[in-house]
This record gives sequence, C-alpha cells and structure tokens, in this order.
Amino acid sequence: MGADYFSFTHHLFDSAKTSEKPEALEGIRVLDLARVIYGPMVSKWLALFGATVIKVEEPDLGDDWRTGSYWAKYWKDSCPYFQSLNPNKYFVGIDLKKKRGKELLMELARQSDVVVENYRAGLAEAWGIGYTSIKEVNPGIIYISCCGYGQWGPLRFFPSWDLIAQSMSGVARLTGFPGQQTFKLNDYYGDFFPGLLGAIGVLAALNFRERTGEGQFIDMAQAEALMRTMHNWIYMSVTGEDLKRTGNFDPTMAPSGIFRTSDGRFISVAVATDGQFSALAEAMGRPELAREVRFSGVEQRLKPEHAEEINAMLGDWIATRTEDEIMDLARKKGFPAAPVKDDWELVNDKWRRERGSLVDFDDEMYGRGTWVGPAVALEKTPGRLKTLTRPIGYHNRYVLKKYLRLSEEEIQKLERDRVIGYWVNRVGLRPPAYWEADRDPVFNYQGEAEE
Amino acid sequence: MTEGRERPQVYSKHMVGRQTQEHLARFDRMLKEMMGSAEGKPGSIEGVRVIEVGEANFPSIICAAMLGELGAEVVKVEPPGGDPARKVTPHGVYTGGVGLPFLMEARNKYHVILDLEQEADREKFRILAGQADLVIDGLRPGRMDELGIGYRQLRELHGGLIYLAISPYGHFTDKAQQEQNIPDTDLTAQSASGYPSITGDPEAPEPFNFPLRAGIWAASYMSAALGVAGTLTALIYKQRTGKGQMVDVATNDAISAWQGFSLVWGFTNEMPRVRVGNFDWCLFPYGYYEAKDGYVTVAAVSDADFRGLLKILGRWDLEDDWRYLFDRLTTDVDILRELEKEIKGEIAKHTRDELLQKTLQYSAKAARDRLRGRGFPLVVKTLSPAEVLKERHWEVRGSFAEAEDPEGRKVRIPGPVPKMSESLPRVKWVRCRLGEDNDQVFEKYGLMEKNQKD
Repeated sequence: MGADYFSFTHHLFDSAKTSEKPEALEGIRVLDLARVIYGPMVSKWLALFGATVIKVEEPDLGDDWRTGSYWAKYWKDSCPYFQSLNPNKYFVGIDLKKKRGKELLMELARQSDVVVENYRAGLAEAWGIGYTSIKEVNPGIIYISCCGYGQWGPLRFFPSWDLIAQSMSGVARLTGFPGQQTFKLNDYYGDFFPGLLGAIGVLAALNFRERTGEGQFIDMAQAEALMRTMHNWIYMSVTGEDLKRTGNFDPTMAPSGIFRTSDGRFISVAVATDGQFSALAEAMGRPELAREVRFSGVEQRLKPEHAEEINAMLGDWIATRTEDEIMDLARKKGFPAAPVKDDWELVNDKWRRERGSLVDFDDEMYGRGTWVGPAVALEKTPGRLKTLTRPIGYHNRYVLKKYLRLSEEEIQKLERDRVIGYWVNRVGLRPPAYWEADRDPVFNYQGEAEE
Repeated sequence: MTEGRERPQVYSKHMVGRQTQEHLARFDRMLKEMMGSAEGKPGSIEGVRVIEVGEANFPSIICAAMLGELGAEVVKVEPPGGDPARKVTPHGVYTGGVGLPFLMEARNKYHVILDLEQEADREKFRILAGQADLVIDGLRPGRMDELGIGYRQLRELHGGLIYLAISPYGHFTDKAQQEQNIPDTDLTAQSASGYPSITGDPEAPEPFNFPLRAGIWAASYMSAALGVAGTLTALIYKQRTGKGQMVDVATNDAISAWQGFSLVWGFTNEMPRVRVGNFDWCLFPYGYYEAKDGYVTVAAVSDADFRGLLKILGRWDLEDDWRYLFDRLTTDVDILRELEKEIKGEIAKHTRDELLQKTLQYSAKAARDRLRGRGFPLVVKTLSPAEVLKERHWEVRGSFAEAEDPEGRKVRIPGPVPKMSESLPRVKWVRCRLGEDNDQVFEKYGLMEKNQKD
C-alpha cells in the first residue's frame, strides 16, 4: 500500500479524460443578473460544473467590469479579467426598465432553478424582480441576493464594494507591519471570498431542494463573509484586547514570516507544530533548539518575546541559504515552506496546468489563450472551461428562441422597440475586430430546426 | 420593526409607488422571519455524515465546521494526543489549554480519539467511514493510503463515498508527489499562490518593502470554502446517481485559482506585477487614507465618482488639470502619486466623521439627479474590529454566535454565512474536549463492541 498512490490518483484525475466525464450540475438553469465580481463568481462556480447560466445585462454598456481592466489594458477588445469571471455563460441584453423587458426576464426566471443578483439591498424587490415576485411564478426557485451587509439590518442600504466591505468588517486594519501603513487585501478578496460563500449557499440550497423539493431565499452579506475569517472576535472576548497587525509574522505560528534568501528570492516559512519545529531545527543544523525551554513547545514559542527571538534566528539562517537549498531541506525534513511566487511564475507553472486550474484554451471567438480553470479537482465530474465570454446580447437569438420559443419576427420587434439590445462600439464591449457577424451561427441562431 | 421602516436612502426614486412599497413590505416580513431562531428548521444537508482527519490542517478543520453549519453530522477523529492544531493560537493565548482558532471552528463537531497507527482503531475507522458520506483527509498525501484507509481502500466499502483531500500541492501530479512531505500553513499557501508578491510598499525601507502577508488566514479560509463547494457539488451528483468520488483541493493554489487575476495578468502581460502600495491596478482612488483622527477608505471608481470626490473634498480646481483628464488608470504610477498627494493632503484636514457626513450628504443629492451623472464617491471610516462590534447592524442580523469557552467565559465567534430562509445554517454548539464524544459516537456507529473487545 502507498507505493503507487500517485499513479492511482493520476489515473483518477487524468485531465485528458475530462471531456468524456459527466457534469455534476447538468440540467440546472441559472439566471445571472449580477455584475462586477462578487455576484458573477457565484454563477461562475455553477457554470464551470455544468449548469446553464444565462447572464442578463443592460444593453449598450452591460456589466461594469467589461470596461474595467488592470492598467486599462484590453485583449482583443475585451477585458481579460471579465473573461476570467464569466466563462461558459450565455449573454443576453435586456432592458429591464421596459415593461416587456421585465416580462421576458420573468419568463426566464420561471424556467430557472437559481437566480443570482447583486443589486443594492431591496432594489430587485422594488423593481418587482425580487424573490417574492419570482417565487409567485416559480415556487421552487433558489434566489440569492448578494449585497454588502445583507438585506436586513440598519446598514442594509449602506453602499459597498470589495474595499468598503473590507473596511466595515475590520479586515482593513489587519494587513501591514505594526506602526506602518495598513494595506487592502488585493485582487478583490472582498468580492471573491464572499462570492465563493454565495456559491456554497446556492449549492447547499440545491442539495436541500433535491431532497425536499423546496426552494428558498439566500441573503449573502459581503462583510459578514470577511468577518467569518477573523480570529479577532474570540481573541477580544478572551483577552479584552484587539488583535493588531503583525506584518509578515503570523501570530498563530512561531517562527513564521517571509524572508530573503542568499540568492535574493523571497521565501515563507511557518511552523505550526512541535514536530515541524524539530524538523526545522534539524534543517538549520541546530537540533538542540527544540530542547531549549523557551522554544520547546508551541506555547513557549508563541510567547511574543520568544517568537521574536526564534524569528530572528530563522531570518539569519535563511539569508545564508538559497531558495533551492531551503526547499530541499523542507522536502527532506518536513517543515512548511514555500517560495513567494509572482504572476509570471504562476502562469508558467506546469503543476497548475496538470491540476487543471490553469488552462491553455482555444476559444471559437477569441482563439488561443491561457485562462483560469476550476479551483477544485473532482474525479468523476470535473469542472471545465467550455467558452470564454461574448459581447452583450450575443446569445439573444439563441436564448430567446431556444428557451422562450420566440420567432424571428418577435425578436426583430423586440430589437426595434429596444427591449433587447447589444453592445456599443467601445473597447471592452465590442467583439474582436476580425469577427464576422454574418457568419456566426450562434449569433444568428435560427432555431431548433437548424441546430 | 424600525429597520424596515427607516427612510429609504440613496435610491429613493425606485422606492416610491404603492406597488413597490407592497413588494418591500412583503419582503421585509419574510426577512424578519428568516432572521429569527433556526429552531425547528432543517439544515441543508441534514443526514450527511462527515469524518474529518488531519494534522494541523486548518483548511480541513474549517471545511468540516462549515459543513457542520449546513447540518452535516461531523466527527473529528484525533490521535491520542489530540490534533496539534489545538495549540495553534494568536500570541500564545489559550483557554483551558485550547487555541482560539481551533475552538472557533469546533462548532457542531463530535471529537473522538482513534489511534490510526493501531489496526484495531483503523478497523473502527473503516466502520465509521463505511457509514459516512464524506471523509476529509487533511494528512500528508498518501498517508491514509499507507494506513490502508485511503480513498482506494474506502471506496470499496461503498460506492457512495466522497473523499475530500486537502493538502498544499494536492494528491495528484508529480509535483504533489515530490512535495508530499511539506505540511500546509496559511502563510506558505498564500506565498505559493503569489498573493504576498502583489502586496506591500516597495518604497518603504527594509524589511517593510518585502512581499506582504495578508493579515487574515486568506488562503486557509479560501481553501476550506473551496472544499465545501467541491463537496456540495459532489453531493448533488451523488443524490442523482448514488456515486461518490474523490475531490482534491490544493491550498497552494486556492487563492490563485479562485481569484485568478494573477494568472490573467501573467498571460496578458508576460511579466509579473510589482507592488504598488496603496494603489490598485484598476481603480483610483481605491485605498486607505489617513484623516485627522484615523483611517478612512476612499473608493471613487468611475469618472463621475472621481469628480464627485473632488466636490466632497473641495478640490474642483483639480478637475481641469490635463494630467488627470486622461484615463486615471495610467501605467504611469508617478502621475497617480502626484494626484494621490493632493487627495492625501485634503483628507488629512478633516476628521473621519466629517468626511463620512460629506459623503452621505453628497450621495443623497446625487441620487436625486435624473441622469445619475454625479457619481457615487465613497469616503467611509476604516473600522477596526473593536469598532465593528459597536455597529448595531450585526446584532440585529445575529451575525455572531455566542459560546462558552472551556474556562466558562462567554466568547463571541462569527456565525455562519450566508443566511438562508428555509434550511438555516447555524451554530448548535461549540466544544472540543479531547475525546469527549467517544462513547456517544462509538455507540451510534456501532463501535462499542469493538471497543470492549480490545
């Protein structure tokens, strides 16, 4: 036993077989009214694992994130970050301010299993597309509202972004060195983590519905999600004091920190257990450290004065070794260590490609690129990337004909009345320059007969 | 209920009209009920049985806790000395010998001792797993297999078993095999995910210019939640087909794979990002600034928001400066620094309360603007955790749960997220004395006899 474990697992997760395997959420229909990151990530999980996700946007400008890109740089006229947030979805442009637009939406909602929205609290209800309205036409609906502080409570109307939620939850004050400036959690952790908890809510509700047939309403509060991760509350209850920022030292583990190696690389080491400390002490060539009273047990090492001392010793040692030397020792002796990777190293990582979290993908509209795949590997029902995003309204014909059974004439009337619409000719919104509208069978979807 | 009746703010134009008010009243009635007690309501995955094994593996511990909140029955199996995770705690603060993170995540769990080094106890483990829907493996990859109780062996017990493995590099690939001895921590997982490389101030003196750790367990909580989402997805498949499967989370990939922007940047720029301190790569201003009496958070992300901010700060004179008329997302950080200096200077003149009041007044006015062209700039207080507790909002929502620690003290822990109307997540109990549930669990799962035979 044990010897060939990794060939056993290799076989289970062989990525070459992904396309032959079933999808766990096949047949589940999701109506996605969300924008930016937080809400769209809820339905991204569902889309990666096989649900049919119809993303409804306002005609012309659509989701704000289409035109928001890092350092304002675009890829084939699209925002590459938006691409990574909304794969596998269908894109429909409907003007919800028009009565007929709302009717179309309600009809789509009637056929759906899940609705995702992240308007401000109460707004969807006020518009008549909230849970209480949709439940009347579709009692089994699972409806998740994602907002900053939840739909209930005195702060519910208070505005929120990732950064504001970080501020209102207290997370904002925890990153940085003591006495130095405080930093935000970058890349919108305040959207991504709450989005993941939102997906969990929907998946839990889907499990509940499989068992009981009942749908429900889910109230997802961004700031609460961040508060769920903090040790501060219980620390305050026990000590009466706030837990303050401690720079690169993780106050739950001593030693711990990010250090510079002799070859100018950054590496992190953190020691959680006595076994790991003995391993580190041996690696440092000083096994006797593990027997010294002040370092001899976790309780001792975590005392601030002892932690500082052992951290300094670790830093001095790392400064005399290369990254490779330390990682070799970590492998041999078994203590937690990792190089601090950067974006370019990540995207060139063979391991991530083998896991499937990084995918070299050839898209019908956008061609070849390297994208983010599913963050979790499932043996029998792996998630997968099927398409990148499309411009606003690209799937109007496809969705309205296939699901609402509208005729070409009805669709043309909706176009004339500006109930449904498309993109405007701006970077981030328009299709790539080489795309030929007339030749695209999905954009010009004729209906089932010619499918 | 005053919360429901307070004057609608910022989007008042949508909140008038009889029908709208009816919708909202109906919604409020539902919410009020939803925020009440969970008593008598079912859990989402009630009846699902979870066995958790691990060594100082917090993602596994948190993952099991979250599944427990959703109604699963969670049995945590520990070695005779206890999981070393019990000792992991901020600044060495313990209560009754238990670390605070472990206690906080001991919600709704049964704690039993089994010595998996002994065949007799491994047999008991097989009996437990034979009745479980999910085994969470937080040990070194391959360790359970060596013991004869890994996925390869357990799946023979019943085909419906879901086996969730959580480890730094996962349980498959050559890399996973090569690195299998390296244990997981939050900090190393953040680093391998590239997260610290984009945080911090490169201009600060050493070592303050180093890559910077996120001050919460950003990787551990992300990994745990990914484990929960993976499990729930596998459970849906199981409900439909009866089939279990293996689910694999790599903590060193959790942040990079779920947030993904590092990978997108890497692909589109073919070089790494450098740290940009208080700046963002997409939005400006979007960061923390020092007011007279502490930090405020400024988010003015659209052009209209930015112009609104200039009004709030009384700096409309900057509006026609050509350098800032261009898209503010220039790659020229020097221009941003200049502009930031102006904003910093202005904010430092006011107190946090003054700035918040100006923001609220401005947005009330802007909301009435027919074209909504005045933007929605935000300058709010950057709250410390102690200040967060003063907000009545969390009390009204029941965002925290109260528990008794081993020393008999009332302690506050964060409650489950999100809130659900029919199958409510909840904290039923918080306790974790080592082996305290042995008898109860052994009896329930039919291990008693085995126990006496030993």
